[in-house]
This record gives sequence, structure tokens and C-alpha cells, in this order.
Amino acid sequence: METKPKILILATLSGGYAGADSVGQLHANYPSNAYILPVVCPSMFSESFYLRAFERGIDGILLMYSGTDCPFKGGAERTAQIVNKTFPLMKEKGIDPRRLRLVAICTVCTKPFLKEVNQMNDLLRGIGPVKMEMAHAVIGD
Amino acid sequence: MTQENLHVDTLVVGGGIAGMQSALDLADQGFRVALVEKEASIGGKMIALSKVFPTLDCCSCITTPKMSAVAHHENIDLLTYCEIGAIHENGGGFVADVTKKPRYVNEADCTGCRQCEYACPIDLPNAFDMDLGAMRAIRVPFSTAVPQKAVLDIENCILCGKCEQTCPVNCIDFTQQPEQFQIEADAIVLATGFGLTPTDAKKEYGAGQLLNVVDALTVERLLAPTGPYGHVLRPSDGKEPDSIAYVQCAGSRDTTLGVEYCSRVCCMYAIKQAMLLSGALPLADITIYYMDIRTFGKGYEQFYQNARAMGIEFVKGKVARITEDDDKNPVVRVELIDEGSQIVERAHDMIVLSVGMVPGYNPQAIYGVPIDASDGFIEIPSPNIAPTVTNHEGIFATGTAVSPMDIVDSIVMAGAAAAETAAYLQSRNGHSYKLPISGSMEMEVAHV
Amino acid sequence: MSEKEEPRVGVYTCHCGGNISDVVRCERVMTALKKLDNVVVSRTDMSMCSDAGQAMVEADIAEYGLNRIVIGACSPSLHEQTFRGTVARAGLNPYLYHHVGIREQNSWVHKDDREGATQKAIRLMAAGIAKARLLDPLEPIRLSAKRHALIIGGGIAGLRAAWDIARRGIQVTLIEKSPFLGGHMAQLESVFPTGEAARGTLHDLIDKVTGHPNVTIHTRAELVGMSGYVGDYQATIRQQSRGIKEGFTGIDKLIENCPLEVPDEFNYGLTKRKAIYTAYPGCYPPTPAVDWENCNKCGDCLKSLNGERGLISLENEPHDFDLTVGAVVVATGFRLYEPAQGEYGYGEFPEVITLAQLIRLLALNGEKELVWNGRTVHNLAFIHCVGSRQIDGINEPQPDGQVNNYCSRVCCTATLHAANELRERFPAINLYDFYEDIRTYGRGHEEYYTEASKNMVRFLRFHDDELPRVTPDPYANGTGALLVTAKDYLTWGQEIDAPVDLVVLATGVMPNPIDDIIKLLKVSPGTDRFLLEVHPKLRPVETAVPGVVLAGTAQGPMNIQESCAAASAAAAKVAVLLGQGRVELEPFVAHVDPDRCDGTGECVTVCAYEDAIILAGVNGATKAVVTPANCAGCGSCVSACPNQAIDLQGWSLSQYEAMLDAIASDSLPVVA
Repeated sequence: METKPKILILATLSGGYAGADSVGQLHANYPSNAYILPVVCPSMFSESFYLRAFERGIDGILLMYSGTDCPFKGGAERTAQIVNKTFPLMKEKGIDPRRLRLVAICTVCTKPFLKEVNQMNDLLRGIGPVKMEMAHAVIGD
Repeated sequence: MTQENLHVDTLVVGGGIAGMQSALDLADQGFRVALVEKEASIGGKMIALSKVFPTLDCCSCITTPKMSAVAHHENIDLLTYCEIGAIHENGGGFVADVTKKPRYVNEADCTGCRQCEYACPIDLPNAFDMDLGAMRAIRVPFSTAVPQKAVLDIENCILCGKCEQTCPVNCIDFTQQPEQFQIEADAIVLATGFGLTPTDAKKEYGAGQLLNVVDALTVERLLAPTGPYGHVLRPSDGKEPDSIAYVQCAGSRDTTLGVEYCSRVCCMYAIKQAMLLSGALPLADITIYYMDIRTFGKGYEQFYQNARAMGIEFVKGKVARITEDDDKNPVVRVELIDEGSQIVERAHDMIVLSVGMVPGYNPQAIYGVPIDASDGFIEIPSPNIAPTVTNHEGIFATGTAVSPMDIVDSIVMAGAAAAETAAYLQSRNGHSYKLPISGSMEMEVAHV
Repeated sequence: MSEKEEPRVGVYTCHCGGNISDVVRCERVMTALKKLDNVVVSRTDMSMCSDAGQAMVEADIAEYGLNRIVIGACSPSLHEQTFRGTVARAGLNPYLYHHVGIREQNSWVHKDDREGATQKAIRLMAAGIAKARLLDPLEPIRLSAKRHALIIGGGIAGLRAAWDIARRGIQVTLIEKSPFLGGHMAQLESVFPTGEAARGTLHDLIDKVTGHPNVTIHTRAELVGMSGYVGDYQATIRQQSRGIKEGFTGIDKLIENCPLEVPDEFNYGLTKRKAIYTAYPGCYPPTPAVDWENCNKCGDCLKSLNGERGLISLENEPHDFDLTVGAVVVATGFRLYEPAQGEYGYGEFPEVITLAQLIRLLALNGEKELVWNGRTVHNLAFIHCVGSRQIDGINEPQPDGQVNNYCSRVCCTATLHAANELRERFPAINLYDFYEDIRTYGRGHEEYYTEASKNMVRFLRFHDDELPRVTPDPYANGTGALLVTAKDYLTWGQEIDAPVDLVVLATGVMPNPIDDIIKLLKVSPGTDRFLLEVHPKLRPVETAVPGVVLAGTAQGPMNIQESCAAASAAAAKVAVLLGQGRVELEPFVAHVDPDRCDGTGECVTVCAYEDAIILAGVNGATKAVVTPANCAGCGSCVSACPNQAIDLQGWSLSQYEAMLDAIASDSLPVVA
């Protein structure tokens, strides 16, 4: 059983996903426990999607969206709204809100990409698995 | 695999932004296009830029999707590393004699894995990075190159064979020879682009001998996320400059260089670079010495005013001379028009010459398309009403082959050249080039 | 969605000639994936994108009846399209292919962690398989497109777009609000940078356009209704009567008979015209029009007309007609900034006019001297940037609060062109030019500046926070002459008083007021109030509304050449869209499951795209209905729906949940 934290990166095709490709072209290194899935626009995910992910054992989620370069009307704003509404729900369940982070990553934002992944990884190593955190919350620890 | 002769509707010459856009706008209309580029990758000068005005979009984000669209378009034959040697008229159409230069790499097999590049022992100044940083004798031209295929610089190769031994698909071929083939086309679009004022053109500005006087394209590479150092450093000693000055019209509006015209982009790129530099070097003082600030395009004046508000210093005055002091700091001699026209000397850590656009290519000999004697760009007989129609029937011109212009204007003009070419092709052939469409099912669509 | 067949997945892990396999243990990935449900074939290959690799996939589809293909290789941006083509060649729907990037996002970034990279490849590929199981075959959205474009505006841009579109075999209907074609260009004489006669060039084009069998022109016509979507817009056009039917011959007599005189807009009010009028000699159409705003129906025009009476009607009977078009070109053009009362003395002193008026004055004045208000002009001052480059707090806002903080692009060269013409025709006039920056940027423009300097035009440079002032000249003694006062920074910032007989304001360019059209077409203006393109470089002539494109100065200040180029570029986009009589869009749009939808309308509220989702009665119940042509595919509606009744085709929530489970799962088949 692996002990490394699991980081899920949801990256927009027009931003973060292409940015991750640029990091690859540089042959830079980052932790292998970061899993990137392409998304059109993260505004399609509701609060419950993130909560469910944590319940399943995803320790941290980086939403790498396109920020002000979002090609969809209102997509970036709606994503930010949903993420903001997710934080209190996470707290209710005893999940550290720092486990979910929204960042704008452009197609060649290689340094910010690496910084974000490493920061998230360091954070998760420090605060431990999400499942344990949630279990503590349930027993009122 | 040898390149077969092609028969297309339009031959587009030049794979910079203008040529790519013209090719896409024609191919999307169902015309067959051959896009010929002399370099090993398309992308032109634009792909080397850092961010682009006035939106400050990262340049790669704008250019790479177009490069990729060109490469994957079913109506476009992309021919890189090819040169056109002659054009023959053929009953109103054209036949181009094309030479495919040897890459010494089998293009069909190369996967762009760069193993050869890592194995190559030769370090050369990196041309893509304006000779900053190093590149290998065999390499994929740059990280976002299209096609992602290696090319071997045989001039600098020592034939050690390391690349050949490393290549996982055995695609290195030192015996490759230039290949000749022909492209038959009914129309031609010239998108041959521009050159830059050589940095050694002006002896008053140090004739290219002053180390800390660089041109603006070098700064683009310093600022690019894929750039050579990842920092802005001045060349003489690798120190972060605290004081940077731009000298505008360094090659434009200067009759001593035989250039009367305005290069149209330099004000905006200087302002853009100044903004990016103040982001990269928050403590640096940035000065722009100018004659007139020409921020005429959509959103450009606001961009200029933002730069002023950010604290970038705009000084009206023509720089007469640049020298350097004992610490290699460049010193400008300038008349400060707004301060009683006093003449002063000011030292900076680094000076950027806002070099101008000069004609990149004279199509007279091969295409029979004349240039305008006064500025050297392609002559357009009716520039107002038909800005892309040349003196030669069936040959159209677009982008900076016609005159200095920025990326926005190049892209719009490329669309115009496509419209003009499409109408010409249709008038010649009298049919409307309908694309075969796969499937015939039409979706039920809710009417609102 | 249809009942799904049992997934039979073929999964392939590419070595990429070592690029992947030097780090990822591809054979282990292959073996691990074999154990997953629905996986029928799992293989590796040195190079999947090679002809041999693709042939292997095609053969496996045929031999094993595979109906889902997953390939782990380089980034999807490189080869996803390639492999969609591969599976299509094998007879499979191309959307049943899923691509997993394990090079740029795995082997190249985890070189020092072969075990981690291998585990990650297995998880990413397993997630890909999980998604693939849930893939549905999709078809591109194909809409039949009416091969007919509507062009709004009959100035140079609209005409140029009409010509380019018509030549591509597409029908064009051009509507022009005024009774005559030609727009502002008709009011110009010699134009930069060629010195050609504006109306000569314009009429060459008008002749071509009006002579083209694909073009229909309606003057005095406006857009009043619009519905539908790209390829199939229903436009309603309202046309005012002309008052005079075509073929009428007694034009001169008719106009002469009219007793009314009103300012002639063609000459910017310098002259008068009748209430029955033509724009200028040789205008198109040549038939005069009745000016309904000013005509008092006195009937004097009809006097002494006999046989042709029936060709005239003094009743304006606007009529509406409908048109189905596939695309719309907005070429509504510009208007000139109208200086405020007293701005540089405008409206206060008769000796202050605009550059546009000066151009008309020069056309009307055939004398050896330039005469204004009955007096010879000896001294003339131009002032640049009137209504352009305005700064909040320094320039008075317009009545609606707007401050034009942009450059109008054309005024510098146009001013210097006029200055040079003045110098040529009236060598004795003293010419002053008050400017901030001279922006003769275009090809052949700088020459006008050089020539003006040689022509002894006295340039004076002011700062934007110290605008010139125009006051009566106290020494002129009631003769009406003015003083222009400014600090001139070309001469050490000293204050200069220029005594002049005429002040010419180079007024800026503003978009025509087209609020109605903006509402009807649902396009957006920018903060400068010109219409907004999607992106200045990616899609510079397209609006966010599919099938609505921009031509000319509706988008921003442009000169004639730039307007023509923009119009042609817009025409190219229309030809791309309509040339084939059909529009194909990617199928990645919202899709409603009517069984789950209970018509809450949350999706409609959250959707930022007009008419993409509506609530409609379906079999007696209120349901959300998506119009795929209007849906951008962002998925905002997916998160809004409380019933999970709406989803994004090709990127569905259930597919993401399946992928997430595969990544989160502790129990993936891991082969040591």
C-alpha cells in the first residue's frame, strides 16, 4: 500500500493541462503522486464532487484553471464561487480547506506549476492523509 | 521517403503567423494548400516572443494552436525546411521548383524524443535564443517546434555518430541529399515576413560593439518562460540591471539608414517589455527615449497610459549617440525636449535598441513581383481597396512582406489575402470547391 | 442516450522509442491493465503513432471486436486526432477513443522515480479505461447553413465584405440605413497614402457589388428583429419608403421645386440641401430620396410634373420583411466626435471647424484663396486629438459620461494630408499644427509628416495635461480672428500665441450608435464602446456570437485600407462558415436526461450563453432543452443541476467520477 499522498490535478485544456505539457517538455521533476486529468472548464464540478473525492481518499486537489484567460463566459468566476462554497463544507467534515486550491496556470506557466505541485505535496505530507483527518473529525478528536 | 510532387490550389510561402493564418483560412474553405517554410519549424518570428501586446497573453498560447492546426489540417501539406528555387508560369497557374533541404533525419520516423540532442557533444550558440544559451548540432529546433522533428546542422557536426547510436528509431541518416520536387498551384500567397534592423547598422549606437546594448528580440528571449537564463541578466557581467533604457526608432524614421518609414510595432513592444521588466525586476528604473509615442491600435493608448501610471519613464528626445563608461555601462547622449532641450549624458546598466522592421525578402527574381523602391517591401498597386493584391496576377501578398505591421494587423490581413485568393480561385475555376462531408445525418436541433 | 453495448476495451501503452519506456516499465503497465474489467486486449509498442502501431490497432478492432480504444502515449495535443482517425478507419466512432498522456505528464517528469512513474502510468491508464467504458458514440453537430449572409452597413467595409462573399458563390443582402451607399468614404476627396480620388475608388467597388448577381441591396433599411442561431438566423428588416420610384427622370426639376432647405450632412452642414435630395452627383442609387424628417408634404415638388406623378409618393410607408441568413456581418461604421459647446471654441466661434468640414470646404472652394465666412484665411491652426486620447479628470466627459481614452488612428495622417493640400493650393497660408504625438505609422504615412515639415508647417507640441486654448484675439478688433495658446515643448516649453483665422479640430472616431443592433445580435461592445472581437489575435473579426462577424470601424478606428482588410477577413470567415452549406461543430455540448429533469431552471439561470438552454414544455412537463448550436460546452449547468439531469457530452460527470475512483482506489492490480 502506498503511503504517498494522492494529489489530483484538474487542469483546463486551454491552461493548466497545456502548462503541464510544457513542464514535461522541460523535463523538470515533480512528485509522481500528482495525477493530472484534463477538463474543459472546472465550473462543471459542484461542491459535492470535491467532497466525494476527499471521501474516496484524494488527499489534495489542485484546480489549475485558466483564470482571466478562461475561454468561457463566466467560467472562471463560477469556478471560484463553487470553490469558495466548498471550503466551509470541507471544514464541516473536518477536512483542512488547504487541501483544495484554485490556481491560474497558463500554457507555459512552468514555474508556477512546479511551485504549486511541490507546495501541495509538502502540505499534504505535513498534515497527513485525508481519510485519517476525516476519521478524527467523526470521533471528535 | 521522397517528397512527391504536389498539385494544390494555393501555394503559401512562409510559415510565420501571416502565412499560417492565410493557409488556415483557405484550407477551412476547402482549398488545398501547400505551405512552404524555409526553416525547420513553422512559427516565424512570433513564436520566439515572450508575451504579446496589448493583452499580455503568453505568445506561445496564441501561436502553438495555430501551428498545430496547420500541421493537422487535412487540406494543408506542410513542407518545412524547403526552399523555392524557381516559379514557372503554367497557363495562368504556377509550378514551383522546390528543394527540400536534408535534415539528416528521417522525418517520417523521428518521434521528436530528443535522445539525439542529449547525446550530441557539440554546443553552439542558440540561434532561437538570439545566441544566448547553447544548442546542440542536432536538435528539435525549439520546445514548441512544429513538426517535432530533429534537424542536424551538418556544418557544425563532427560526425561522431553519437546521435545515430542513440536514436531509438534509427532515423539519423548522414547520407541524406537535397530533394527536388514540384508544387503546381493556381495561386500564390507571399507571406515572407520581415527582417530586423541589424544591430551594427548604426555606428552612433556603437555599431553592435557595446556589450550591454542589446536589441529588443534578445529581450524577448530573456523574458520568455522558455528563455535561456530564466532571469533578465545583462550580457557583460551577468548582473541584474537596475536601470534599463529603450532607444526608440533605432532603425526607423532614420534617413541616415535610408529608412524613412515608421516600423509601427516598436512603441508597443518597448512599452510591453518595459512592463514585463518592471515585473521581473521590481526595483529597476526603466526609461523609454522616444520621438513620438505611436500607440494607435485598439487598446494600445490605454496600454501606454497604464505604463505611465506604473512609473515607466517616457522621455521625449532623440538619442544622438551611445557610448560606454569604464564599467561597461552604456551612456546615452540625448536632447531632453521636454526639459528645455538641454543635452545630457545619462548612464544606464543596459540599453535596448528598439530596432525596426526591414524587408525580409525580395520576390522579384523568383516570383516576378516587384518591390517598392522607396521602402523595399512588396509593391501593392491599390493598397486602399485591395491591400493584398500584387502587380502579378494570381500572386497575393500579406503580413510584414507588405509593410511593417503588428500581429493583430498581420492576422487580419492574412484573412484578407485568403478571401482575395479564394475569390480568384473561384473565378478561375468557376466552381465552389465543396468539401466532401462524411456522413449525412443532420442533428435535430431545438428551435427557439 | 442509447442502451450501451458491453464495452470491449483495447489498451495500448506506447514506449515512444524509449521516451516513455526508459522510465515507465511499460510491460508491467500492460500486464496490470490486462486484469481490469472489460479489457480484451492490452499491448505495448515501440511507437504507436507509426504506421505499424496504427495498423495494429485497426487489426485488433477487427479481430477482437473492440469497441473502446485507450492509448497511453505523448500528450493528447499531439496525437489524439491521429488516433481518432485510426479508430474511424477501422469503422469505430472516433469519439470512442480515449487518449492518456504519459510522456509529458509522466515519464519526462519522473525520471528519478521509475517505480512511481510506473504506478502513476497504471493509475492514469486505469482511469482512462474507466472513462472509456462510459464513452458514448458522438456525432459532430451538423447544422445546415443557409448560404446567405446579411451585411449591415453600406460603407466601404460593408461593400468590400459583400464583394468578397458574393464572389464565393454565397448570397448577400446588404442593408444600409441611409438612402445612399458609400458611407464616410464618399465624403472624402483625395485619400492617403495614394492620393487617389476617394469616390472613384468607391464607385469602382459599388459598380462591382451592385452588378453582382449574388448581391441584393436595400437602402433605408434597418435590422429590427433577429432570432435563430448560426447557419439559420431569421432577420427582420424594416425599410422606409424612398418616396420616389426608380426610373423617375425629372430629378433636377423635382429637387428644384422643393421649397425647404436643410443643412446638408454630406458637407457637414457647410451647405444646404432640399428635403428631396441625392447625396452627391453620381451617388448610388441615383434616384433621390425624400427626407421624411424634414419634408412637410407641401406637394410643391409635384408641380409641373405630369406623366411621372405616379412615381412619387409623399407618404412614408415602412414595410418589414424577413430573411433567413446563415451569418451576419456588422459593418455599421463610425461617427465623428462632436466637440462639446465651447471645446476649443467649437460652437462658440464660427472660425472653429472640424477636419471633416475642412475637407468638404476644400472640395467646395475653387478659389485661389481659402475663404471662410466671407474672409480670406491667412493663418490656420490644426489641433490634434480632439475627442481622442482623452484623460479622465482633464477632458470633460461626454454627456453620457464617456471619455474617449483611445487613439483614433486616422486623424494624424489625415490632418497632415490636408495641411499638405492647403500648402499646395494656397502657398501663402501660415499653418500651425498643435499635437501631442504625430502618429503617421502606416506605409506611406510618414512621408506626409516629412512633407509637412518641409512645407513649413509649424509644429507645436503640447502636453496632455496642458491643452491648447482658443480665445478671441484682442488685437483683431472685432474681425473675428482667434488666438490659439499653448505651451510648446518643442521650443523650451514657452507659451505661444498663434493668431489665426481658422481653427481646424481633428476630431476622433466613435462607433455609430447601434444599441438596437447590439441588443438584437447579442454582441458586446468593449469599454471604448466599439464592438468586441473574441480575441484580437486568435479570432480578430469574430464576435462571441457564432456566425456574427465584424467588418471595419464598428470594431475600432481604422483607415480605408484597414477597413478593407478587416472586411475581407470577415468575408473569409463567412465563406468558411457557409461555403459548404453546412456548419459542423464539436459535439461536446450539454445534454439533458429528460427522465431526471424536473424543470427547476437552475441550468438556465447559470448559463452565460444566450438561448443555449431554455425551459420548454415536453410532453406536458417543463424540461430544460439545449440548443447545441448555442452551447459553448463549459459545463456550468452540470454543477448547477440539483438532479444530475444535465451533463456534458464527451466529458460527463460520471466519467470523471469513474476516473477519480480509479485514481483514488487502493486496490488497483499492481504487478510487481
